[in-house]
Amino acid sequence: MSRETIFEEVVDIFREVFDDEELEINEETCSDDIEEWDSLENINLIVLMEKTFHIKFQIAEISELENVGDMVNLIKKKVEENE
Amino acid sequence: MNKYSFEELSVGHKENFTASVSEEFVADFRKHTGDENPLHKDSDYAKNKGFRDKVVFGMLTASYYSTLVGVYLPGERCVIHEVNSKFKEPVYVGDELTISGEVVEKNELFRLITVKALIRNQKGKIVSKAKIVLEIK
Repeated sequence: MSRETIFEEVVDIFREVFDDEELEINEETCSDDIEEWDSLENINLIVLMEKTFHIKFQIAEISELENVGDMVNLIKKKVEENE
Repeated sequence: MNKYSFEELSVGHKENFTASVSEEFVADFRKHTGDENPLHKDSDYAKNKGFRDKVVFGMLTASYYSTLVGVYLPGERCVIHEVNSKFKEPVYVGDELTISGEVVEKNELFRLITVKALIRNQKGKIVSKAKIVLEIK
């Protein structure tokens, strides 16, 4: 799965979790950029990413994520591990 | 009170209990929330709007979801994250409600479960349904 495809899926995940079809994000987007992005919504994002990509995260991995770009990189790494 | 741990619950696990909505409960709810909408206290008004009688507050009915997860499934260890509920049919004072829930999903990372909940009246009709996401501490 290409990084671009993963990014597009992540955009859809963000739009679903924040219930905003117009939401725009980029690689640098972080929780400071989205008002509703709190710890509860962070959980919802991670849970939906696990379901969408059929991967499992570890707590230590999530704690190192700083922005959307980091999320995409980690997802790509895990997807490739599964392939 | 139940005290199910995350490990003790499997997808498919079910719990249920019954409750009857009293006039007193409705009056207390109105008093504490300040919701003076006549639909819930004026029979003539409610009948004029097409209901059989004054209608029990939807959120009062939904409060039983708190009991479901806080006492029964999983019980003591519950921390609610999210409740998405629908009100399908009106509830009236005196109705006998059966509140049931089933675990439909588990997330190991955050120790979350998703409970699909239903509330039926004494005729077996679904009056409300909900999807509840909660954490088991």
